[in-house]
Amino acid sequence: MSIASAPIRGLQEVARDPRSWWRRSKGSVELWANLIVLGWALVFMLWRGGGFAVTVGSVFAIWAVLAVSLNLVVGYTGLLSVGHIGFFGIGAYAMAVLTSSASYEQLRTEAIPTFGWPFFAALPISVVLAGLVALVVGIAFNRFRDDIYVLVSFGFAVIAFTTFLSWRSLTRGAFGIHQVARPAIGPLVFDGELEFLALLLVFLGLAVLISWLIVTSSFGRVLTAIREDEEAIEVFGYRTTHYKLAIWVISAMMAGLAGALLASWSTFIDPNSFVLLESVLLVSIVILGGLASIWGSLLGALAFVMLEEGMRFVPFLPSEFIGQIRQVILGILLVLLMLFRPQGLVGRFKL
Amino acid sequence: MSLAKLSDFSLASLLRLREHQSRLLATALAVAVAVYIGWKIVQSPDQALQFAFNGLAVGAVYALLAMGFTLVYSTVWFFDLYYGAAAAIGAYGVFYLRSHDVLGGQYAVNSGPVNVLFAVVTAGVAAWALHVLLYRRLHTRTNPTALLVVGGLLAAGVGVYTGLVMANPENLHALLSPLVAVLIAGVVYWGLRRSYRRVSSGTGPVPLIAMAAIAVVVGAIVGFLVAVTPELGLYLSWGVACLLSGTVSLALYRGLYVTMRERANSPMIMLVASLGILLAITAFITIVFRSAPRPLPDTFGSEPWTIGGANIKGFNVFAIGLALAGFGVLLFMVKKTAFGKAVRAIGDDEEVAKVVGINTTVVIAIVFFIGAVYAALAGLVSGHDTAIQPRMGLLLLLKGWIASVVGGIGSLYGAIVGGFALGMLEQFGIWDLAGEWRDVISFIVLIVFLSFWPQGLIPRK
Repeated sequence: MSIASAPIRGLQEVARDPRSWWRRSKGSVELWANLIVLGWALVFMLWRGGGFAVTVGSVFAIWAVLAVSLNLVVGYTGLLSVGHIGFFGIGAYAMAVLTSSASYEQLRTEAIPTFGWPFFAALPISVVLAGLVALVVGIAFNRFRDDIYVLVSFGFAVIAFTTFLSWRSLTRGAFGIHQVARPAIGPLVFDGELEFLALLLVFLGLAVLISWLIVTSSFGRVLTAIREDEEAIEVFGYRTTHYKLAIWVISAMMAGLAGALLASWSTFIDPNSFVLLESVLLVSIVILGGLASIWGSLLGALAFVMLEEGMRFVPFLPSEFIGQIRQVILGILLVLLMLFRPQGLVGRFKL
Repeated sequence: MSLAKLSDFSLASLLRLREHQSRLLATALAVAVAVYIGWKIVQSPDQALQFAFNGLAVGAVYALLAMGFTLVYSTVWFFDLYYGAAAAIGAYGVFYLRSHDVLGGQYAVNSGPVNVLFAVVTAGVAAWALHVLLYRRLHTRTNPTALLVVGGLLAAGVGVYTGLVMANPENLHALLSPLVAVLIAGVVYWGLRRSYRRVSSGTGPVPLIAMAAIAVVVGAIVGFLVAVTPELGLYLSWGVACLLSGTVSLALYRGLYVTMRERANSPMIMLVASLGILLAITAFITIVFRSAPRPLPDTFGSEPWTIGGANIKGFNVFAIGLALAGFGVLLFMVKKTAFGKAVRAIGDDEEVAKVVGINTTVVIAIVFFIGAVYAALAGLVSGHDTAIQPRMGLLLLLKGWIASVVGGIGSLYGAIVGGFALGMLEQFGIWDLAGEWRDVISFIVLIVFLSFWPQGLIPRK
């Protein structure tokens, strides 16, 4: 209902009576948000050409899987988690440690065990590992709510980051892990950028499909009810803690998937990709795109990636400040959204 | 016994068991921690004293943070994450004003746009303060247009003064000496008048003039002394940094939070919006100062003192004293003054406070100002103790937040106890681990406290 049929229904409406559709929706923020972000992305990709589009598409796909997974927790269940980057990191590190084939003896740095697994064997392990950690963390976090939930999820992000940085015999700390394997199915090796983009899009499609199945099911409706009023749904006999735990684990597994994909895509990871600030940026993507809307998460991720890539081509901007300026813009956008549109660009739930 | 009754019974007993077990677990945990720390102390008392000193030094910063944070939280009931940026502004304000002094001016920073920005913000806040404090009282008696013009000029003057001070950090002592003189004169006059009223009931013109003369002379002398001692620059820069942080807080409050609270008074919305502010200010600081860590200039007491075989820097003792003094001042303000009564009334029920005639906007503005000043103090103390970097804001914010939750949300006693307790636990926790795990330890402390003692050490009454 929310991802597949809404755009189709919209298109049908446009086709049936374009004039009245325009009159009704020209003041709609959703329409303009969609048009501007998609148009901007399209123009940019056409301008910069194919290689650029493939890179941007890959970055977008990874962020989009993350955003969609986080939206299940933040948007649909109403638990504002700032710690999702931890699961992302767990997935990435599991993939990196299991598949890395680099030998560090020559580099005279700390040696870590090498397993040299293939990508598709390590993928389920990283996803399940993220899920298991989420189960433990979720049991501890289940009783918290609202602002305290924000604080403890900050805590999870800090704990995860410190572990990546300081457990040197497994993660090599700040040196990072090199030569993470690229996926291969028999003779078919996804070592080109374009093939990998295709794979990423398949996984993004999978994540979107799973999310859509969840939010349109009765399970999803219970989640929405928890968000609206947890006591009320408890009165009807639903064990809300179980539901919250379940969606937390599912969402963490999707984040772990995104992390595994990132590790394999960039073939090198270090703890800098999983700092607390990235987690905050991720939350702002989800809020910017729209709470409780899968399409919103995709849009938010696209806007985020295009914001960064777009700023590379502003002539007078020094390149070392791009990340910072993007952060300033995102911060101000968050404030403006909270003032004027607390549900995000195309969202359905006001924080 | 029927089946329903049986299941009812077993459910109740199960719940009781869970409750009981959780208390048991909590007690066991507390005992285990106490035994561990006691064992470590017995094993090497010297080292334990060293860790205790470190814990007190860190705890002073956390206590300062937690006090301001708790004051703001117990008034408006949302977590204002700008608070982290306030700490960073405090530390970087000192760096900005003293950067010509640090490492021979290697990282000297003074940019025109930043000065203009702060001048504009200060002018705006000054204009608002004049409007709130004076205009409403005076505009029925005098010509409103003239009042507006004079007020505008005054505010612009304040802004220009701020800009001048920030643009000439080398001459901080000379530039700030008139301000210090006026402040000292005001305080002296106020004190004299108060004590004079105690002894005699009359207030004739002659003693008033005499008191004013004494105040002016004292102020002038102090101002002159300040103007000829360049060494005071560092301590003046502390004051300026705290004021700037408080000013930004006021600007945010008036410019944003008031409107926002009128639109949707939801704690989560405010939290996310202030998170956006924190993001933006952190990035802004990174753009101006770069992301690499920077040192703050040497201050007094960087020489370690040795007490009982353990070292503590004189500056850390000063920091602990500062935290205790800050606690005393805050406690006096909240418990003994009319302002404190208003703050507590607003914390209990803002609507009712408004109805009984408390100017909630002004009171909350002052609360935000005080909170930001405490955060800035904590930021600059921790900056002098270690080093400053842009992301320190977020980390300090989290520590202050944890300390206030551990101590008991909304309780002032809890804030100082929680701050020092968190510092001690953190330092004793990294005894057997490496120092990089201290953030992890404080979050584990937080989660344990939230799970077993959600009210904190000293709950708010």
